[in-house]
Order: sequence, then C-alpha cells, then structure tokens
Amino acid sequence: MPKTVLVIDDDRDIREVAKASLELVGGFMVIVAGSGTHGVAVAQEAKPDAIILDLMMPDMDGRQTLSQLRLLPETKSIPVIMLTAKVQANKQELVSEGAAGLLVKPFDPMQLPNQVCVILGWSVSREDVGRNGSAKG
Amino acid sequence: MAGKIRVWIIAASVVGLATLAAVSWLSFRNTEELIAANQRLAQAHKLIEDLTDLHLLLDDAESSCRGYALSGKIDYLKPYEAALAQLDVTAQVLRHDLAADSYRLSQFQELEPLVQARLGVMKDLVQARQTGGFDAAVQTLQSDRGKRLTDEIRQKISAMQTEERNDLLDRERESRERARTTILAVGLTCLLGIALLLAASIVIYRLNRRSEKDHVALQNAERIQRTILNSAAYSMISTDAVGLIQLVNAAAEKWLQYTGAELLGKNIMILHDARELHSRGEQLTRAMGMLVTGDYQALVTKARYGVADEFECTYVRKDGTRFPVLLAVTALGGRDNDLAGYLMIAADLSERHAVRKMKDEFVSVVSHELRTPLTSIKGALGLLAGGATGVLPPKAGEMANIAHSNAERLSRLVEDILDLQRIESGRITMDKRLCDVADLIKESAESVRLLAEQEGVTIVSSSCQAPVKADRERMVQAFVNLLGNAVKFSPRGGRIEFGAECRAGSVLFRVKDEGRGIPPEKLETIFERFVQVDASDAREKGGTGLGLAICRSIVEQHGGRVWAESEGGRGSTFYVQLPLAEPSMATELNA
Repeated sequence: MPKTVLVIDDDRDIREVAKASLELVGGFMVIVAGSGTHGVAVAQEAKPDAIILDLMMPDMDGRQTLSQLRLLPETKSIPVIMLTAKVQANKQELVSEGAAGLLVKPFDPMQLPNQVCVILGWSVSREDVGRNGSAKG
Repeated sequence: MAGKIRVWIIAASVVGLATLAAVSWLSFRNTEELIAANQRLAQAHKLIEDLTDLHLLLDDAESSCRGYALSGKIDYLKPYEAALAQLDVTAQVLRHDLAADSYRLSQFQELEPLVQARLGVMKDLVQARQTGGFDAAVQTLQSDRGKRLTDEIRQKISAMQTEERNDLLDRERESRERARTTILAVGLTCLLGIALLLAASIVIYRLNRRSEKDHVALQNAERIQRTILNSAAYSMISTDAVGLIQLVNAAAEKWLQYTGAELLGKNIMILHDARELHSRGEQLTRAMGMLVTGDYQALVTKARYGVADEFECTYVRKDGTRFPVLLAVTALGGRDNDLAGYLMIAADLSERHAVRKMKDEFVSVVSHELRTPLTSIKGALGLLAGGATGVLPPKAGEMANIAHSNAERLSRLVEDILDLQRIESGRITMDKRLCDVADLIKESAESVRLLAEQEGVTIVSSSCQAPVKADRERMVQAFVNLLGNAVKFSPRGGRIEFGAECRAGSVLFRVKDEGRGIPPEKLETIFERFVQVDASDAREKGGTGLGLAICRSIVEQHGGRVWAESEGGRGSTFYVQLPLAEPSMATELNA
C-alpha cells in the first residue's frame, strides 16, 4: 500500500507539479487542497501519512494551518513538511512550531520524493528514486 | 584691527606723558634757577649800594675831619664819629654778605686795609688839630697820603662796582634766556597737549564710526547666518559643553514641534530615546574602552575626542511621537581651543526608511511572484525532461532539456539577485557561531564534490585547525561559489587546491585552479555584479555573474576580505581572509 501525501498549496500549477512528481517519481498516493481551511478538512477526513504545506497562502497561511493541524486530535500526529521560498525560511522556528522539516521552492521534481523520504525517515532505495523510482513505506 | 588701535593709543599716551614730564622738569629747573638768579641780582644790587654807602661814609668822614681841622670846632667831628660807627656796621654787613663768595670777599679784603689806612689818616688829622693846633693840622693836610688813599679806594670801589654791574648785566641776560626757554617749553607743551587732544578726538570719532559700521556688519552677518540656519533642510541644534541647548533652527522647531524658547537651556536628552542612548552608551563603552554614560555623553563622546561621528538614532517630538534621523555631531571649539559645546545636525530619515521598506516589500513580493511560476515551470519541465511523464520523441526531449536547463538558470539568477539584495541590505543577519576552519573546508569541498567528479576535476584540500566566528551556511555558500567557478574553468583532468593557512589573528583560505587565468585588468572587477571575464561565460558556463559579488558580500559581512591573483594562462588563485575568533571564544569551541 503506497503512502498517502496531502499537498496544500494555493497555486494550482505547483500543486499539480508536486502531485505529478510524488506520484510519478515517488510512487506515492497524492491528494491535494488549495487552501489552509480546505487542507485541514481534507487531512481530518483522509488522515494522510504526511502533509506538504505551503507557507505563504492567502487567508489562512501555512503557519496558522500548521497550528490548527497540531491542535486537532485527528491530525496532530501527522508529520507536516513546510514548503517555502528560501527568503522566508526559518527552519528552527517552524520546527519549534511543530513542522517535521522544510522543503525549499523551487524544488527539483525528480528529487522531491527522495527529499520527503529523507525528512520523514522513510526508507528509500537509491535505485528506486530514479526515473521511475518509488519509495517504500 | 582693534589691537592695532590699542597699540597706537598706548604709544600716544606714553609719548604725551613723557613729554609732559620732561617739560615739567625743565620748567621746574628753569624756575628754580630764575629764583636763584633773582637772588643773586638782588645781592649784586645790594653790594653796589653797600659799596656806594661805604664810599659816601668815607667822604662824609673826610669832610667832617677837614671841617674840624680848619675850624677847630668840635661839632664838625660829629658826622665823622657817626660815619665811623656806620662804616663799621657796613663793613660787617659786607663781610657777612660776601662770606659765600670767596672772589668778592678777597676783593673786599683788599679794600678793607685801604679803608682802615684812610681812617687812620683821618684820625691822625684829628689828633694833629687837637694837639698841634691849626698849623699842625694844615701840615698834615698838606701831605698827599690821604688823597692817594682816597683815590685808591675810589678806584677799587669803582672797579668792584663796574665788575658787579657787568656781572649784573650777564645775569640779567641769562635770566631772560631762561625765562624765554621756559615760555617756549610751556608753549610747546600746550601745543602738544592740544595736538594730542585733537588726535584723541579724531581717534574716538573714527572708532565710533567704525564700531557703528562693525555693528551694522555684525547685524547683517547674523541675519545671513540666521537665514542659512533657518532655511536649511536639516535640524540644527547646538548645546553647551554639558548638553544644554543653546540654539535651535527653524527645521528643528518644526520637526520636533517645540518653539525655540521651550528648548533653550533644556538638556538635549529630552529630544532622544533614553533607552537608545543607554544602549549606545554601553556600545561605546565597549568600543572605546572607557566609561561612556548612557546620557548625552553617548551622543557627544566620540565628537569630543575628535572622531567624526554620524549615526542613526531616534528623535522624540513634543507629543512623544518618534522619527528616525541621521545625526552628525561636531564639537565646537571656543577661544583658546577649549570646548564650547556641540553642534548636532540631523537629517530626517523617515522618507528614506519608508523607501527602504517599500523596496524590501517590493523584493519580497517579486520574489514570491517570480518564484511561484518558476517553480511550476521548472518542476513541469523537470518531469518532462526527466522522463517521468513518459518517453519523449528525441527532438522533443532535446527541446525539453533546453527549456529545463534555462529554467534552472533563470531560477538561479532570481535566487542570486534576491540573495545579494538581502545580504547587502542587511536583511539577512549573519548567524555567526564558532566554526572550525577544517570543518568549513570539508563541508565546502563536499558540496562541490559531485560537480567536480562530473567535470573530471580533482579537488585537493588541506587545512589547519582554528576557530572562526561565522555563519556556517553562508561561508560554505561563499566557498562553494569560488570552488564552483574553479571547477567550471578548470580543464578536464585539472586539479584544484583548496586550503587554509592559520596565521596570527586571521586565517587565509586559498582556492587555486589550473584554468585559463584572469587578465590583470579584471582582477578587481570580477567581484562586481554581472561582470565575467568573458561575456559568453554566462551562456556557456551557466553562471549568473553574481556568484563572486555574493561571495564578497558574505566575506565582508564577516569582517573579511576576498581577492584574486592570476598569472595569465597559468590559473587563478582566490584568497579569503577571515579574522580568527577571540581566544576566550576558542576555548568554548574546544570545550
């Protein structure tokens, strides 16, 4: 059973690229949400294995979404990786607020699944993370 | 000018007083001598009179004796006896008067025996008449001894009187001369006095005129200064040596919302943020190695020691609102070079800060707005070129690769521009911690290992162990930029030396390649933005032209220096010099 990853980002194109990368390169199951509020609802419902959360979003931003996710009993143990441009990166702060790690935009779609596995400590074989590699949970 | 006038006045006074003293002395002397001369004149007159008296008395006595000798009447002898008594007195008076004049005394002493002898002849005549009767008297009279004596006496007295009269004339002439000199001197003195008075009046008049002119000029200068002061677009405030406000210009009044009168005499501290001054005091205490209290001293201490001081700080308005200023403090020298106070010129930074904020916001927005589409483009192209979406026809694959690599390049360019902007604007504060030189070398070399392997270039690293205080990530970024360049420009099979040499107080990093080298005229400019040795490098080598500029910014933020050396065609060497951490910190690292 492949791992399920929820991608929350307000930019549809980035959502799609991330989804394609994680599915095609990483072999994960990917569900997406276009806002913090929607993302929290989807997470409560689908209980994914990991969440990739964009930091800069209108209305409820990544920080607020993260704190909501940490509060809710259904989502509080799901690891969240923050997706951010380098400018706003403050890894220590985000980790102290409950993030599992940080992915920097723009990401390399061929490397993204590998980076997710490294952050979450999921096992990944080198030959799997290739052209058609898949991560095993 | 005033000094010159003072010298003239003093000189004129001295000359005037000296002349007055000299003339007074001369007049005094002349008057004294006049008095003495007058006394001598009186004496001479008296002598002439006395001698005449003597002569008359002798004549009287002689006539009396002859009368007696001829008549035999005793009554005729009365004038003779009276004359005898009077002669005695007169002789005594003359002796007394001439006692001080030896010459005249000696002349008189020559006369006296003659007089005595003549009196003796008279006495003989009287005795002859008394004892021998008329005949004996006639016989005595007939002897010419009496006549000779009388002639001699007359001659003598006449000579003495003549001499005395001549002398009298001389003395009178002399007295007249002296009187004339005195009159002349007094007259001259009066003239000099009048001249001095006149000169003094002229000087006073001209001084008055000049002082009036000076006063007008001073008023004009003051008006001009006021105008300059009040039309300046800077706040200008001067204080005395202890920080009490002495002068406030119009801009300061307007900006700070105080009237000048409200500020005069107040401590400059009321215009500043107390906490800011306190922390500046602490900072200066550390930097200058002397206690700088957190009051107005924090503003003026550097200026007092002759250091040009310009710094950003906060001004507090009357209503308590604040605004940022760039404050330049200058010490004002008084007379004799002692400290008169300070001048504080402030430029309002509100607008500059607002522009800076706008620029930062702009960069932030642009960064997000550029990155977001770039992320999608790069990601999509990456998946296409990487074959994740399925195998593309060869020509389409080639095109996807070109698009992907250029998207990568554009992405790097955006990153580098933002990086440089943020480092230079100080928006990124370097997170400086203690790092070991060897660790920095190892991590940097490791970061470019893959790239070097791909290019067939060997990196040989060596290091010393020493602590530096650095933002590890940023320093590694700087070295990676240098190493990346070295790899790019090294021939396949080339060798790069990457090492560090620890020295006293600093460490010198070195990246030496065997590439084509850098022409001497480019050694300095390659650290500027978008400058490359060859214009085609950006295209061919995939650089952004910002790597070295970023590297320099990072190194400078660490208090270090970066430079390049190259011998044409024989490779280049890049040097980075960083200060070593203080020994007290080093023990922390070792512990």
